Amino acid sequence: MSTAYKPADVERAAQEHWAETRCFEVQEREDKEKFYCLTMFPYPSGKLHMGHVRVFTISDVIARYQRMQGRHVLQPMGWDAFGMPAENAAIKQGVPPAAWTYENIDYMRGQLKRLGYAYDWTREVTTCRPEYYRWEQWLFTKLFEKGLVYRKNSIVNWDPVDQTVLANEQVIDGRGWRSDALVERREIPQWFMKITAYADELLEDLDDLPGWPESVKTMQRNWIGRSEGVELSFEVAGEDEPLVVYTTRPDTLYGVTYMAVAAEHPLATRAAGDNAELAAFIEECRKTDAAEATLETMEKKGMPLGISATHPLTGEDVPLWVANFVLMGYGTGAVMAVPGHDARDWEFAKKHGLPIRQVIAPADGSEIDIDEAVYTDKGVLVNSGEYDGLDSEAAFNAIADHFEASGRGRRTINYRLRDWGVSRQRYWGTPIPIIYCDDCDAVPVPEDQLPVVLPEDVEFTGVGSPLKNMPEFVETSCPRCGKPARRETDTFDTFVESSWYFARYACPDNDQAMLDQRAEYWLPVDQ
Amino acid sequence: MRDEGLSSADEPFTNLLTQGMVLKDGAKMSKAKGNTVDPQELIDTYGADTVRLFMMFAAPPEQALEWSDEGVAGSFRFLKRFWGAVMDHIAAGDTPELDPAALDEGQKALRRKTHQTIAKISDDIGRRQSFNTAVAAVMELLNAITRFEDASPRGRAVVREALEAAILMLSPMAPHICHGLWEAIGHQTALVDESWPEVDETALEIDTIEIVVQVNGKLRGRICIAADADRDAVGAAALEDPNVQRFVAGKEVRKTIVVPGRLVNIVV
Repeated sequence: MSTAYKPADVERAAQEHWAETRCFEVQEREDKEKFYCLTMFPYPSGKLHMGHVRVFTISDVIARYQRMQGRHVLQPMGWDAFGMPAENAAIKQGVPPAAWTYENIDYMRGQLKRLGYAYDWTREVTTCRPEYYRWEQWLFTKLFEKGLVYRKNSIVNWDPVDQTVLANEQVIDGRGWRSDALVERREIPQWFMKITAYADELLEDLDDLPGWPESVKTMQRNWIGRSEGVELSFEVAGEDEPLVVYTTRPDTLYGVTYMAVAAEHPLATRAAGDNAELAAFIEECRKTDAAEATLETMEKKGMPLGISATHPLTGEDVPLWVANFVLMGYGTGAVMAVPGHDARDWEFAKKHGLPIRQVIAPADGSEIDIDEAVYTDKGVLVNSGEYDGLDSEAAFNAIADHFEASGRGRRTINYRLRDWGVSRQRYWGTPIPIIYCDDCDAVPVPEDQLPVVLPEDVEFTGVGSPLKNMPEFVETSCPRCGKPARRETDTFDTFVESSWYFARYACPDNDQAMLDQRAEYWLPVDQ
Repeated sequence: MRDEGLSSADEPFTNLLTQGMVLKDGAKMSKAKGNTVDPQELIDTYGADTVRLFMMFAAPPEQALEWSDEGVAGSFRFLKRFWGAVMDHIAAGDTPELDPAALDEGQKALRRKTHQTIAKISDDIGRRQSFNTAVAAVMELLNAITRFEDASPRGRAVVREALEAAILMLSPMAPHICHGLWEAIGHQTALVDESWPEVDETALEIDTIEIVVQVNGKLRGRICIAADADRDAVGAAALEDPNVQRFVAGKEVRKTIVVPGRLVNIVV
């Protein structure tokens, strides 16, 4: 051994020893306590950056420490290999996304080995390989059978020049990043996973995670956003169906001075039929970016529809408006507005000269001026007929009881959490395993026909998905009736791949099942 | 997956460690800002261990890490010094088996430092996930080793124990150099198959303490003395220290100030 410190020699020797003895390769064994050390797998962007090195080193220190504590440590590594950067590189450099991705993986794998991380490389997973995504397709068909996925129309950013759907980050100041064309909101059918069916369970399980930072758990709770409220019906003159809204503050019901519906709401569409100005405004709303973050900060715009609903308690006329901050996909696509006690409603009422009515007074008896500032706290009811004097909580129950008794409303629990739209109108992703048949509608691809393999040798121009122009991919026959049918050309959101890789590391070589007993051994992840 | 019978875990992740960003000049490192540092260049220049060590030493995992070229160079210098210390020890020849019962005060003090460090780092990594303080503790231990000048066989046995503990404890952060040093120091088993060092509780007992001796306010020596020694005994021991003797010889001691457990100042 040389007496001078020569890192390159020292590091080569150590890495050779680890490779020759295969000391980081692990099989399941019951005589030792297991420790599953997981780090988030990287996107193969080209080369490692400092953030990667930091995260992977922290994880490796934990893994090596646990090994020295006598634990049987699994530390795997893989590649979150589908995604848009590969498409962008393909457009720029004229290489197929697949070739670009595999080249990056090879280079970055070399870098990880050079850093000496104690990975079990025999378990490497690469999400763009059919061995991996076939099980994702399989799970989707199982969820389909269970009724946990469904198709509905949903709004996307449409680039009218490139004739393609854009991701939010490809829309810059309302224009397509390549075409510079004004982006439109367009409704197209997309697949959704019913994650809201698990909302309560997701929320409750957060209490069983003492090893998670409180700040992260709070973020998760807010994201799920459970609220208890009441669904109320408002009759609309000349309409058979009442207008249904959800509110967490039925105690403020006497303060409703207007209502607002989304641009796509049938009432708005009908009212626009003989009103050009209204039709133009609705068209403008449709073109606006629908991201939630934008909704909170953008200018609140609206126009009256010229029709009214009837207040269910006072019988007064309540004017209906169309507003750009109400979305068809959220709740019922309609809201009741209480400008005295809701900040957004107050702002909107001030701007459009709508009446503001105080129906809640501070519990401590102090005076407020509702014309000067909105009052959003709970308190004691005033100007609320027979409910005057009740506190907000008692009024919530009294009013909810009243509506339930009359059959015009019901208590309900709402979540901020939305079902997960998993369709992406992109090429470089897992093909959604659905076949469309004129007679049988959407049919899941049967298990014996999986995987639906994504063609990798394609010319990628960035105008639409190349899959749409590949009859050999699109044209197929219906698994149910055998007639000619078309394959879905949308692919999954790449978060579908990254939501289950941690389990697949346990059994990456299983070509008969998604997971097996080995996953039972290694899960849950310990760190 | 659970409802499909594929897995029985309700919640698949028991613990979650969130980590901070990497900053340069106070801003997040990003291609858009053009303030990135390429890890590959650093690996080529200094080696993987230096890069790994810097990452772990510069900040606690959950906090942002401020990039520093000087910090990287410092990590490299430390590894070089660590390597040199082990090589010097090896070059000095065979080392006898350590006999904890037969140590003098100075040897006991280094041994105590070794086991205090093991206790601290075990807690830092195992419980607190405070890797930066763990690295700092290894650095301190190496300082104590290099300050220790006892080249007697027993002294060298204590040094060897300290160096081996340092190699084992630094190995999660800098696994390559530790692999090489472990082999060089004479082990047949590869470091990767070794266990974490254990604390010897008896080595932690503080029966003696180190006290700094000043003459006219200037540091002139250190003495080891029984922790329960009274002021007179401490003062007398301070005067007997050979280096202190050189500064007080032939002069009249006007005053001896004893700060219990800390220092003695002799005024002449």
